[in-house]
Amino acid sequence: MGKNKRWKTGVLLVFPCFLFIFAFMIYPICSVGYLSFHEYSPLRSPETFFVGLKNYEWMAGSYIVSYSLYVTILFTVVSVAIELIVGLYLANVLAKQMREKSSKIGKGLNRVLRSIFILPFAVPAVVAAVAWKMMLQPQFGPVNALLGVNVAWTTQYPLLSVIVADAWKMTPFILFILFAAIMSIPAERFEAIKIDGASGWQEFRYVTFPAILPVTAVAIAFRAVDAFTKIFDVVYVMTGGGPGMQTQVFPLLIWKTAFNYFHFGEASALAVAAIAISLIFGSILILRRRSK
Amino acid sequence: MKFSITKWASIFVLILTVIVTLFPVVWMALSSVKSKEEIFSIPPTWIPKTFTLRHYEDLFTRFNFGRLTINSTIIAVGVTVISVVIGSMAAYGFSRYSFRGSGMLLAFILIARMITPAALVIPLFTMMRAFGLLDTIVSIMIGITIINLPFVIWIMKTFFDGLPKEVEEAAEVDGMSPIRTFWKIVVPTAMPAIATVVLFSFVTAWVDFLFGISFSTTAASMPLTVGISNMQTGYEIYWGPMMAAGVYLTLPTLILAFLLQKYFIKGLTMGY
Repeated sequence: MGKNKRWKTGVLLVFPCFLFIFAFMIYPICSVGYLSFHEYSPLRSPETFFVGLKNYEWMAGSYIVSYSLYVTILFTVVSVAIELIVGLYLANVLAKQMREKSSKIGKGLNRVLRSIFILPFAVPAVVAAVAWKMMLQPQFGPVNALLGVNVAWTTQYPLLSVIVADAWKMTPFILFILFAAIMSIPAERFEAIKIDGASGWQEFRYVTFPAILPVTAVAIAFRAVDAFTKIFDVVYVMTGGGPGMQTQVFPLLIWKTAFNYFHFGEASALAVAAIAISLIFGSILILRRRSK
Repeated sequence: MKFSITKWASIFVLILTVIVTLFPVVWMALSSVKSKEEIFSIPPTWIPKTFTLRHYEDLFTRFNFGRLTINSTIIAVGVTVISVVIGSMAAYGFSRYSFRGSGMLLAFILIARMITPAALVIPLFTMMRAFGLLDTIVSIMIGITIINLPFVIWIMKTFFDGLPKEVEEAAEVDGMSPIRTFWKIVVPTAMPAIATVVLFSFVTAWVDFLFGISFSTTAASMPLTVGISNMQTGYEIYWGPMMAAGVYLTLPTLILAFLLQKYFIKGLTMGY
């Protein structure tokens, strides 16, 4: 096949996808950039007015925006930390079980456990949100009844409630990535350190941890960017961003500015900021991985 | 075998995590079959005293879930077909034929995986409005597809990169056209990877909430996820139907996850 023809085949294969991406991602990103320099309030007027940097000035000076960023960062850090600790622990337990119990019962138990731990990931985010809303319901919810307290979780500790629901749903992601990583460590290394009389902690510290560190770092980075840029469903359904702005995470702020307050210009400026943040973090992650 | 304190402690922690993992879903399922009075009883009853399918009936008689199920299914199937077909083709193109700008384009698509969907919703909304596509299934389908495509390309390209080229080269020598080679030889060998992306695309579309709540205003295009969120109004929360809806919405993804666990975990962990 000639060089020219190879080129054509490649383009032909990629073209439909490119067209789709251009029409519904690249063009919209450009148009949101355009809109961010305009005022557009569809309820008041169908026209757009050029306002220069006004929307960006609003964004830079608004307490609502900086508070939202603070909430989003706090949310990201705490929920990823919980996911990492629980995920790492469970991955270790499962992998240890898998290595040491070669009996049928041990393997079966492992399968059952893995099926259980995959469950939250298979639950849609909105369903996780309503399930946890029920759990934390102050009067007839089971959490208060179990703890014997009377706490209005979603109003007194709204951010914590949202974090619990999200961490519950996303821990399996970290768990299964780490489990796969631990299982790919050659069994001899565990046997060797065991002969030396190492404890469980030493085994983790000197064999498991160094081996899975790179994968863990990548998984956390991806998960953190994901949590920061994509948190929406759980918060929308559980607290709606409230009370006040206590759980108004950044994606929700963009959405509400447009669809609740109909300030599309301001929402566009926020969107540009969000896209810029995600593209910067995205390029760092992807390019680093590709260079390896 | 000795059972030390640490061993018992770790068993205890394991049991605790299993309970925390299962409890919300179990509680939701139990609540969904309790009578309205029992749901509101203080303190809550751990084992249902009443059993009723009333809330499930309500889903269809009061909350239009028949229609919403059809919408969600069409959206999920549409998203899956479009993104898997054009995504796999593109991934194959990127993997086997590099052309000027292909590296840049691929990098952009992969980075696009990180884009905040809520940011993309704003311009897509004005675009859909201009086309008169608001409150249609098509607009929701397009929105989800654009978010899902980078993932499909990512997984499929990783797979194609690991596939030996010899068979395709032999086909080329035999005079088979590249497009025919793709459909007749590459696609059949790629079935495990395709199963993974089909599964993930379907689930992604089924659970989507953002594009549904942004583009849909009536039952004409409303997906189930928006239907469940509409069960809490400013005045009232319909707890019974909401719990039933939660179970109803989770069943398809749960069954898929259990039946195709291998692919599910593979898609989850691939590329890390």
